[in-house]
Amino acid sequence: MAQKVLLCVLFDILEVPSHLDDHFIEMRSLIKVYPPDTLALDRVDLTIKEGEIHSLIGENGAGKSTLMKVLYGMIPASSGEISFRGRRVRYASPREAVATGIGMVHQEFMLVPSYTIYENVILGAEPVGRLGALRNAEARRRVQSLIDRYGLNLNIDDRVCDTSVGAQQKVEILKLLYRDVDVLIMDEPTAVLTPQETGELFRRLRDLNAAGKTIIFISHKLDEVLELSDTITVMRRGRHVATWENRGLGKADLARAMVGRDVVFSVEKPPACCGDVVFEARDLSYVDAGGRRRLDGVSFTVRRGEIVGIAGVEGNGQFELVQLVTGLAPVQSGQVKICGRDVTRAPVIERRKLMCYVPQDRKASGSAQKMSLTDNSIMTHHRLNRRIESGWRALLNPAKCRRFAQNLVESFGVLAPNVDTPISSLSGGNQQKVVVGREFLFDADFVLLDQPTRGVDVGSVEFIQREIIRKRGSIEGATGDVGADATVTATATAAAGCLLISADLDELFNLADRILVMHRGRIVADLAPPDTTREEVGEYMLGAREPQPGPWGGAQAGEGACAR
Amino acid sequence: MSKNAITALAGIVVALLAGLAILWAQGYPALPSYAALFSYSLFSKFAIVSTLNKATPLVLTGLSAAVGFGSNCVNLGQPGQFLIGAMAVAAFGIACDLPTPVMIPLAIMVALAAGALWAGIAAGLRRRFNMDEFITTLMLNFIADYFTLYLISGPMWDRTTYSPMTKMTNPGSWLPMWDGLSAAFVVSCVAFVITWVIWDRSKLGYEWRVMGQNSAFARVGGCRNEANFTRAMLLSGALAGLAGGLMIMGGMQHRFVKGMGANYAWDGVMIAIVAANGMVPTGLYALFFAAIQTGAMGMELETAVPSEFALVLQAIIVLFVVASRESTRLLINRWAAKLRARAAAGGAQDIGKGEGGERRASGH
Repeated sequence: MAQKVLLCVLFDILEVPSHLDDHFIEMRSLIKVYPPDTLALDRVDLTIKEGEIHSLIGENGAGKSTLMKVLYGMIPASSGEISFRGRRVRYASPREAVATGIGMVHQEFMLVPSYTIYENVILGAEPVGRLGALRNAEARRRVQSLIDRYGLNLNIDDRVCDTSVGAQQKVEILKLLYRDVDVLIMDEPTAVLTPQETGELFRRLRDLNAAGKTIIFISHKLDEVLELSDTITVMRRGRHVATWENRGLGKADLARAMVGRDVVFSVEKPPACCGDVVFEARDLSYVDAGGRRRLDGVSFTVRRGEIVGIAGVEGNGQFELVQLVTGLAPVQSGQVKICGRDVTRAPVIERRKLMCYVPQDRKASGSAQKMSLTDNSIMTHHRLNRRIESGWRALLNPAKCRRFAQNLVESFGVLAPNVDTPISSLSGGNQQKVVVGREFLFDADFVLLDQPTRGVDVGSVEFIQREIIRKRGSIEGATGDVGADATVTATATAAAGCLLISADLDELFNLADRILVMHRGRIVADLAPPDTTREEVGEYMLGAREPQPGPWGGAQAGEGACAR
Repeated sequence: MSKNAITALAGIVVALLAGLAILWAQGYPALPSYAALFSYSLFSKFAIVSTLNKATPLVLTGLSAAVGFGSNCVNLGQPGQFLIGAMAVAAFGIACDLPTPVMIPLAIMVALAAGALWAGIAAGLRRRFNMDEFITTLMLNFIADYFTLYLISGPMWDRTTYSPMTKMTNPGSWLPMWDGLSAAFVVSCVAFVITWVIWDRSKLGYEWRVMGQNSAFARVGGCRNEANFTRAMLLSGALAGLAGGLMIMGGMQHRFVKGMGANYAWDGVMIAIVAANGMVPTGLYALFFAAIQTGAMGMELETAVPSEFALVLQAIIVLFVVASRESTRLLINRWAAKLRARAAAGGAQDIGKGEGGERRASGH
């Protein structure tokens, strides 16, 4: 209450009308060019009203995050101006932005894991008394009262590393509230959350909004945006496309504005027809160097012609599973079989003869950024593909390597000036196409996909997902109801079995024929997409449901699901 | 590629100009000094032969460093590998007396093996005890230094001389000279070609290059990084060892003398850095640095500029070339960004209207 009064007084002094400000934040013809010539923001105008929930949507690379980073003082604009409460501002750092009342929660949290929630909140804004002594009691009261007021449901003495991702996000919000911001910028806050946590976040954001905070919400998930916001701004390729009030809008309207054309929301997928088992994990367990049990008796099979999805909150064993399957970490107990061959002790290269693997992070392990497209496309092929070597087996034939890369570029629609440019000069989507293309050019029956479309634009996502389904194929004439389209895909490539690990439930529901849910290193459920919901998967992901009773110890896991 | 060549050339030109300015500021006749520098290194048959002889060890130590750094093995043990290679050839040449056609190939093998062994110790320590090769190779330099010093002043000392050195090797291991050009240069050319083929054309070299850029990518792709690390270290060491061995086999002295090796090894490290670990650039810079070092002697004769000026000039070149590689790119990029932003702001009238119709104002 006192704050409100103070605000009114302030408005009187400044002779600003006391009703909510319609030109609260104004950005005028903002331009941002990332060197050398990436035009990230192209004359963007945007007005944000006080007290609204304003969503900013657009594909990856549309400039949403860049725009907000400019507003927040993280990066300087090349030209243009910003005004906040009628005054022209140009923040040199986020600290200045926070001081005047604008705060941002990033996708990656900036917390000290070993500190308590309270310590994280006051870090950098410690209440210091005489002689530099911390005045804890008062600050603790303030933090606690903020938690109570906004119903954040946090225990301020918990260590951050012991709390869930959802709670950590609330700590980030709490940090900003403690610094008294009026504007909260949330950069894709739901990307890391389960459906349940997302619901909780939205309730908290609405409470904050009711308490007078202005919220800017960046997302590319249309349902969420429609559910939450008062106003929606669409960006595309660095431009402001439209700003709409959220009344009577539909997903299709937003999608069309976002992509500039009509979008198919789910990739068409002919029914799966399972063949023989191409991958089998039996009773895999893994204890990491710190003694934590990361995998606990994981068993499942993947059959030819099906896509098995693995859902789970990050850090529940998916990373270790991939390491064991690819041979990057030694199997401690259990067995891995690919195409009937026991590869439990086989080195990476032996396994790569039987499988292809799209790694999670194309920069960290999917490519060498400074090397040319050619050098990036021949990885692993240089050992397994006889067609790019020269007469002498120890040597590669440069011309054949370039032709190989050229072929990859053409058949996977990679936009690149030529195959000698470094891969770093390509956009994320094109880089990912190179990685996926390189792997899919192997003639392997087992495909391991670890987050294959993370951080990729919608167009490339669509393309890559189609390629995945093509790779899966469907066995000709195996069942009667296979449509004409399916026959075409089946002839295009030999069917393979795919294991798809993804944090994106939409992707899993789009692609997977079965969804296995991992929680704390175990597989807790085996679900089939048509008969399950995102909410059900979410509950298993959080451990809110009892694990399905199933023959997890045996190779028969999920065999019944294949009939679909 | 050509863009890199242009930046490198620009760096060299600016560095030479800076060197000119330094000479001038010191009161030396700047232009005549440069004229002497190049006439004594390039513009006569004798000058060219001297430059090529000088380049012989530089090419090899440069390749050694380039192979190491380029595959992410920080081999800074070239001085030690050089000395051990030289000492091994000296010992072999003193102990064995065989006809030339047998002796020379064997001596070359001995040099390669000795250098590889010395680098192999560091590789082994890394693989067995995970000791950083950056430290161990440096430490092994000291061991090699004092070990060879002990040998030439003790057990292998030639008692007919008054300073620490070994006896002369048997003439069977001496490389022939043609008009002053030592056959050692031919040996190092052959080594260059072989190294280039391995590095730029072979599967192994491809794996090394990827390992140098992103070892995680190589590992995921099925390359055996541990084995490749050892192999790269061995080749790197062998090249440095060969450089040392050729010093005994070629030249005039044919014996291990105290203080031999001088700066060849460190110059090689410097050359690899300037050449950004490319094989062909390493060869070219080795020739260029050899020219400067040779020319500096002539310059001292003619214009009294101390030959140490070569060191100054080399240092300036390294700084300018290495610095210009990154900074020109950054500068050009920033400049391009500014232009682009201005163009975007200017184009407001013609393009901006196109999508204006879609805007249903919320705040206006």
